[in-house]
Amino acid sequence: MQSCIIPETSALSEQDKKGETMNGRVIVITSGKGGVGKTTTNANIGTALARAGKKVVMIDTDLGLRNLDLLLGLENRIVYTIVDVVEERCKLKQALVKDKKNPNLCLLAAAQTRDKTAVTEEQLKNICEELKKDFDFILVDCPAGIEQGFQNAVAGASEAIVVTTPEMSAVRDADRIIGLLESKEEIKSYKLLINRVRPNLIKSNDMMSVEDVVEILSAKLIGIIPEDTGIITSTNKGEPIVNDEKSLAGKAYNNVARRIIGEDVPFLNLEDDTSLVAKVKKFFSGLMGKEN
Amino acid sequence: MNENIFTNIYNKVLGFFRQTEREENAKDIACNRLRVVLMQDRTNLTPELMDRMRKELIELLSKYVEMDKEALELNLEQDGDQMALMLSIPVLRARDEEEIKAELAAEDAEKEEVLEAAEDSDDEPDENQTEAEIENEDKDESEDNKAVDIKVPDKEETSSQEEEKTKK
Repeated sequence: MQSCIIPETSALSEQDKKGETMNGRVIVITSGKGGVGKTTTNANIGTALARAGKKVVMIDTDLGLRNLDLLLGLENRIVYTIVDVVEERCKLKQALVKDKKNPNLCLLAAAQTRDKTAVTEEQLKNICEELKKDFDFILVDCPAGIEQGFQNAVAGASEAIVVTTPEMSAVRDADRIIGLLESKEEIKSYKLLINRVRPNLIKSNDMMSVEDVVEILSAKLIGIIPEDTGIITSTNKGEPIVNDEKSLAGKAYNNVARRIIGEDVPFLNLEDDTSLVAKVKKFFSGLMGKEN
Repeated sequence: MNENIFTNIYNKVLGFFRQTEREENAKDIACNRLRVVLMQDRTNLTPELMDRMRKELIELLSKYVEMDKEALELNLEQDGDQMALMLSIPVLRARDEEEIKAELAAEDAEKEEVLEAAEDSDDEPDENQTEAEIENEDKDESEDNKAVDIKVPDKEETSSQEEEKTKK
């Protein structure tokens, strides 16, 4: 009697599980301009989300110029790419490369030997739909530019993170991208991530501040990442900086991940000057009895 | 670290002199240049189109006021969150009622001619869609000629509100 009932209930609960995990969020990380830190952002947010216990898959859509694998240190593990999936040389699950440290984290790599036309918008949409069933987050790494590569990357997404830096050309390109995102019905929301912020330059009025950029683009902010030399070493090691507890940029990326999950995390105070000059100044102003 | 301290001091000393020399710093310049360039990017209005708009506006407004066509200014500007089309027209002389009526009558006659020629009187374009809100404000300025500033919010195309300010 019992043996008859058990398979039935287990089958039911399996269906329930499927129903539960059906609503993975597809977030495209884009910027327009190259070199502002899209891929770094992708690797770090993905790793941070996985560390928070979420199931995450990252899709590199930069066909011909793939780099996400390098930042994650997975370049030697790639067997199949997204093009192999699309051209049915392998199943989607076979092409997912698991992260070395975190089993919650997967990568679907771009093909290095093909160009942007090897995958269509429709195919990417289908891949995203398929992955939604098994993952909490699907992060799509978008190539620079506003051509087909961008259109492909955006096709399956319903949310977007626009990466920019406080530089004129990056802000201008971000504005263009925001305009394009607003014209896409599928994109329900987009948020701004300001990368490579240099508090010293902002203080001396030599660089646009975070507030300036937010005001000019009139977009909602999801993160402020300080310029951090640690990014270079972390890239060289193939290990995202969020794994480094001491790094300020790592902390900032971790906060972005928490905000994505829905937590209310205040923005890091980058104005806190820890340089010697500031300390001496503070010491003297303390002696003089001035309050800053 | 040492290098960091020195560049910091250098920046501060430099920043001090810069601030005393001129008010505008690199950050302000960047912000202002960006605002202008983004406005052009967002509207898709080329200089040619702006020029054409200018000419058409002169043609339209000349019916009602006599103005300094050379001094007419038409610019895109940021007004808070909104983009605004700023039009400044130095008015040389207000036309009197009869003049305006005569101009409009002549135009109507012209239109009718065109319509008759086309033999298609069904869909006459309604040109008076926009309701103009006219405000007269007193302004104390030494300039003799009058000027009209018209502000058209960019986003609302159908029900564009027009604010007209005339200097006395």
